[in-house]
This record gives sequence, C-alpha cells and structure tokens, in this order.
Amino acid sequence: MNNLCTDIGWKSINHAGEQLCGDHVDIVEQDENSSVIVLADGLGSGVKASILSTLTSKIISTMMASGLSIEDCVETIAATLPICSVRGVAYSTFTIIHLINNETAELIQYDNPMAILIRDGKNYDYPATEMHIGGKKIFRSSIKLHEGDVFVAMSDGCPHAGIGIGYNFGWQRDDIVMFMEALASAGYTAKTLSTYLIDEVNRLYGGQPGDDATSCVVKVRRREPMNILFGPPSNRDDCGRMMSLFFSKEGKHIICGGTTSTIAAKYLRRPLKASIEYEKSDVPPIAKIEGVDLVTEGVITVNKVLSYAEDYLSGNELYEEWSHRRDGASLICQLLFEEATDINFYVGRAMNPAHQNPDLPINFNIKMKLVEELSRCLKQMGKRIKVSYF
Amino acid sequence: MKVTVCIGSSCHLKGSRQVVEQLQYHIGANNLKDSVELGGTFCMGKCQQGVCVSVDDKCFSVTPETVGEFFKTEILEKLT
Repeated sequence: MNNLCTDIGWKSINHAGEQLCGDHVDIVEQDENSSVIVLADGLGSGVKASILSTLTSKIISTMMASGLSIEDCVETIAATLPICSVRGVAYSTFTIIHLINNETAELIQYDNPMAILIRDGKNYDYPATEMHIGGKKIFRSSIKLHEGDVFVAMSDGCPHAGIGIGYNFGWQRDDIVMFMEALASAGYTAKTLSTYLIDEVNRLYGGQPGDDATSCVVKVRRREPMNILFGPPSNRDDCGRMMSLFFSKEGKHIICGGTTSTIAAKYLRRPLKASIEYEKSDVPPIAKIEGVDLVTEGVITVNKVLSYAEDYLSGNELYEEWSHRRDGASLICQLLFEEATDINFYVGRAMNPAHQNPDLPINFNIKMKLVEELSRCLKQMGKRIKVSYF
Repeated sequence: MKVTVCIGSSCHLKGSRQVVEQLQYHIGANNLKDSVELGGTFCMGKCQQGVCVSVDDKCFSVTPETVGEFFKTEILEKLT
C-alpha cells in the first residue's frame, strides 16, 4: 500500500444544437483503491451517439470492474450495440483507464486520440502494445503511477477543435500536450484541468462545437486528510470529548460556526479574533484562532459552499468566483475541493434557540440537511468522507 | 473605546454588514480612528436582540436604520 490516491474529473460539451452528448464517461469503483474509468465516443452525435457511448462505457466499466478480460468486453460490445441504419455499423470508440491499487494504471485505447500522460510537468511517451480483438486494433499499456502524474483522455472532438476556423488541421495532439504541460504542475484539480481544456476547445470552435468534445483527467496525488467541525454538541458535557477527538486528528482543521468556534477557542485557551473585513457581500467575515487553519461563520457560509459544490460537479462555471477569493466560503471550497482527499466531519446537533425564529431562513433541519448534501457532493468528487455526530 | 459588532449568522442576516460599514464610515468622517477600536465577534448569545453591538462591555441592540443615532449618542457624545 502506498499513500497515493487519484483525483478524477471530466467535462463534456455537446455538438452545437444537440441536447445530448455523444460522449460518455463512466467511473466504477472496484474497491477503495481501484477503479475503472471509461470514456466512450459514439458514432455521430445526438441521441444515437449518446446511446452507443452510454452502452459502451457502462458495459466495459461494469465488466472490467468485475474482473473480466478486455477480449470479453469487446466481444460483448460488438454483439450488443445496435447497428446504425444509415451507416450499417455499430461503433463507439473508447479509452479505458484501469487504476489498480493506486499503483498501476492500465490503459486500453481504441480509436480515441491517444491519452496524454504528463509526468514532472513534461509529456511522457509511454509504451503501448498493439493487439487485435475482433478485427479492432487496440492499444494496451501498463504504467506505474508516480505522484503528480496527470492522465488526459479525450474524445476526437478535442483535436478537431478549430478545423477550418483557426487551424487547418484542428488543434493537434502536440498542441494539446503543450497546453496541458503548462497547466499540469500548477496544482489544479482534475475537474479544473478538464474544464480548462474543454473551455479552450469550445473557444477554438468559436462557441459552436462541430463535434461532441470530452476530456477526462486523472491526477495522481498524495492523500490529504482534512477535518471540519460544524455546530456545538447537543449535550454540553460532550464539548471536551468532541474537541479532543477533533484536534487529535491529522491534517488541517476547519471550524464553522460562531458558538462552535467560541467553544474551540475556550478548549485551546486561545483568543478568538473575528474580523470585520467583508470580502464578499453575502458571506460573513472569517475569524482567527491560533492553531486552527480556518474559522468561519456557520450556516450561511456552508450553504454557500454547498452551492459552489453543486456547480463544481455540473458545469464548474463559478470556479473563478471561489478559486482565488479570501472569504470564508471560498476558503473552505479551496481546502475541501482542491486540497483534501479524506474529510472528517464533526457535526454537533445542538439546537440554536436564536435560529428557531421562523423569520430567519436557518434552522436545525436545514443545518443537518446541509451536512448531508455537502458530504454527498464531496463523495461524488471522489473524496472519502466520514461524518460523526455529537 | 472598543466597539465590537457581532458577525454571527443571526446578526449577519439582520444586517451586521451594513452596521459595520456605517460605523466605519462615521468613525472615519469624525476622525475617530485613533480613539475607537472597531472589531468583530461571533455570537454574543443575544441573537433575539441583534444586531448586537458592544461598547466597552455594554451591550446594545442596533439595526441598520438606527446605527446613525447609535453612533451619535453612544460613541460620539461619550468621547467629546
């Protein structure tokens, strides 16, 4: 066992005028340290392509995750896919990234642009073996993972970007490699890297993509634990127990909530200094306690974090809003979405009498709901979440 | 003189931001930056009376509408 883990993120854009994407990414976790990622690109665009790619990626990811061989997967797909009435073929290209024990990546590629591997900020030409299964030429590689490795899988909509507009032959793979080399070592998450790549593709298409385009990024990184305390315990006598559990954990410590931070400051015997700098109009200012990495207000801030989390998982359009700001919600987002891989929630179930006022948009149920929703979102980002209630 | 404004959830929703900004403005306009220390704090436990503002440990309930009056009687007059 090593202490590596993988951060997986992807983004797609649709062929101009289509509501469905003809590319599909499917991720199946085999166990805590192994997963199968499939990026499939169906023939054509729209409904037909969407069905082809969804079927392909679902079949491959499920079969691979249960330990079946690539030969079996390809045969199953060939036998299952509906045949296009116009073209007389059933066709979907695919890229498989099979991560094994967070130690090895097995790449299996069929007709998509060759996946890019960036190691130490430079393109790394990995060896690939050619094999023939059912008349299809398939490339297979096995790569030992290093910390900082960035894999970029894409559909052909990416290198085709800008054909006839900005470039004669589209955005060549070498150009994409250079683009990604510049970004890879900057500490962005997989989701952000794929977003930047697809945004550039969209720009080269002039906002009117001539094909569905998808990129899926896998970033290999070290595990980073993070602890977050939210709300005072329902029983006052549990304060000490909750605090000692929280502060004994490895990793950074975030405290959300006014009363909660007052309790923590008392426990640490350090002063709590609240700032009155409003970095952002709708998020209350942060505070400081020596020995705590971040102290913020509770419900309003966390609510904002949740809305950023939901956006991050869908279009990632608000990224610029939180990625560089210094307000409480943005800082939590940076720590939780970008830095952390393992997040421990310590949630207190105390009822704040002031919040039970029906005029205020905050109450106990909303607080519990916030924790549930946020941990669901973080799980979807691929983080390991543990929630303890007090 | 130490003036502390609660910036907890409840007071935030009742307008502590406007209170802070107006106090900052009045303190600047009256050249009191050296004699008044404006700061923030989390919950003072009197959320029902928010926005809670304390002046040297004495508590007041202020709203964005009454902050001008509050500044005059509790800060400006006490200092002159």
